[in-house]
Amino acid sequence: MPMYYAFGLNIQSDLALPGLPLSDHAEPDVTIELADINKEGLEDPVDKRLYFQASPDKFWLHVPGIAWFQVEEGKRIQVMPEENSDMQSVSLFLLGSCLGVILQQRQYLVMHANAIRFGDQCVIFAGPSGNGKSTLAAAFHQRGFEILADDVSAINEKVEVMPSYPQMKLWHDAATKLDIDTKDLPRVRIQIEKYACPLEKGFCNKPLPLAAMYILGTHNRDEFLLEQMKGMEKFDPIKNNTYRMQYLEGLGLNGHHLQRAGQLSRQINVTRIIRPDTGFQLDKLVDVLLDDLQTNGIKV
Amino acid sequence: MSDGIYWIASYPKSGNTWMRSFIANLTNEDEGEVDINEFNTGSIASARGWAEEELGFDIGALNHDEIDRLRSVVYSQTARRAEQCEYHKIHDAYTFLPDGKPLIPSDAITGVLYILRNPLDVAISFAHHSHCSIDQAIKNMGNPDFAFGRGSQRQHKQLRQWLLTWSMHVSSWADVEGINRMVVRYEDMKLKSCQTFTAITRFLQLPDEQEKIEQALNKCDIKKLQQQEKEKGFNEKSAKTASFFRKGIVGDWQNTLTEKQVEQIITNHAEVMLRFGYLDSQGQPLVEPLEMNSQLLANSCGKDISGAKK
Repeated sequence: MPMYYAFGLNIQSDLALPGLPLSDHAEPDVTIELADINKEGLEDPVDKRLYFQASPDKFWLHVPGIAWFQVEEGKRIQVMPEENSDMQSVSLFLLGSCLGVILQQRQYLVMHANAIRFGDQCVIFAGPSGNGKSTLAAAFHQRGFEILADDVSAINEKVEVMPSYPQMKLWHDAATKLDIDTKDLPRVRIQIEKYACPLEKGFCNKPLPLAAMYILGTHNRDEFLLEQMKGMEKFDPIKNNTYRMQYLEGLGLNGHHLQRAGQLSRQINVTRIIRPDTGFQLDKLVDVLLDDLQTNGIKV
Repeated sequence: MSDGIYWIASYPKSGNTWMRSFIANLTNEDEGEVDINEFNTGSIASARGWAEEELGFDIGALNHDEIDRLRSVVYSQTARRAEQCEYHKIHDAYTFLPDGKPLIPSDAITGVLYILRNPLDVAISFAHHSHCSIDQAIKNMGNPDFAFGRGSQRQHKQLRQWLLTWSMHVSSWADVEGINRMVVRYEDMKLKSCQTFTAITRFLQLPDEQEKIEQALNKCDIKKLQQQEKEKGFNEKSAKTASFFRKGIVGDWQNTLTEKQVEQIITNHAEVMLRFGYLDSQGQPLVEPLEMNSQLLANSCGKDISGAKK
């Protein structure tokens, strides 16, 4: 069984995990195995939703048409694919929600954010899906900055961001904007026009201290706005951009999460960056951000 | 019934935002007007975040058809969990999934308030909103394959919404069988405000005291909405247009549309326009639609629309 490496974890997997580098480590931190999973869910879940159930140490997820998953103690993911599903789809949800739960169970503060290296530190850019996290990461990459993560950033107790894996996921339109030819790139899932772009160079494979967080947003005006948050204002944006926050209550991690978010709000700068929603003025956005980073004493 | 989802359904530019502003002001205890950017009456059906919150996995990895199959489950679940009435905007036509089940399942419908507006006026407002020519807006309103957010090469902020033609949109909602529904015309909301909004508040299980209704109507007067937009902008406006709250008047088409454009809209939508009192018996367009009460509007025709899109 191959051993992969992501988020500082050695992952031994029954399933191929495209995009993840191989590890030569002998002992796995996490195992992924095909198994029989109860289609009804957990025995006694604390939180039972439409397609996921959670209790401390155990998490169950069903992605209809794709697979059932069970994630335990930050160490083990079990998978039972649906009859007609393809392994590419299964591994995509495995590396998304399920690996997210592994990181949550391991008590990382997991943010829906990309992470970019600036000097010996990194900065995360957060926002809900569709706000341009991956596109922005790709734009920074083209300007020569290293990427730690393009969608999910796991922050450890030392307030360092863990490197994810050397791949960016870009929609066709975003790739076109960046002059990236998608012709020879694999789709992340055959059913959608989103492509996996491997990062041969420009991936940062070591944890870096987190210096700041930006929240990506858009508005219908033709200007860029930067709003630096002060004091307690920083707490909500951190909380609201947590990856899969709805899992935490059932996992019994709400208290821990709020505490970590509170700590982080005292440790880093948090700034809202709002760009015009017409077109994606990517170069301008990168310029505005680089300028603001320097103003805030972050070496770029 | 005292919980679940009331859908505020309409073709775009037909008074949906005015209605949400009215509900927000009616249910708000404060003296001032509710901020136009904080109506908070409930997510639009096509909000990506609503589906993601309920489902708990990344729907960005799914295509439009796969997402559609999950949307109905999301609405049923939200309705089941609702502890009070929620009021959600929807621009999708009432459509069916490939398995024959509706996108909006009946267990997710406490009621549907369907708002329609004279397509002659919609065309002008829709062109303005979409930053296109009136001719293009007329073409879109006559296109049975018309949808918002249907592209597949990027992730749209909103989920795909089938609008179909204007006529199909109206009929799709007005003819659903077995649901609690009220159909109102924008023109009645405008020209007979008190009477129409009183009936609406009763239908939506909202406070129906005259004084409260009048106060709320006053607070969401188009001039006040325009003023607020001028002062602080409106988040729901598209970037390309100057303002969202434009004229809001009845019969603007008389001064704005060419004869040919009027003719084209009538050709495309005569049957539905006639049915809802926008044409007289000779097929001539009316500025003030014919008198019709809302029950009549809702139940005047029970034709089968199961052949409609999807």
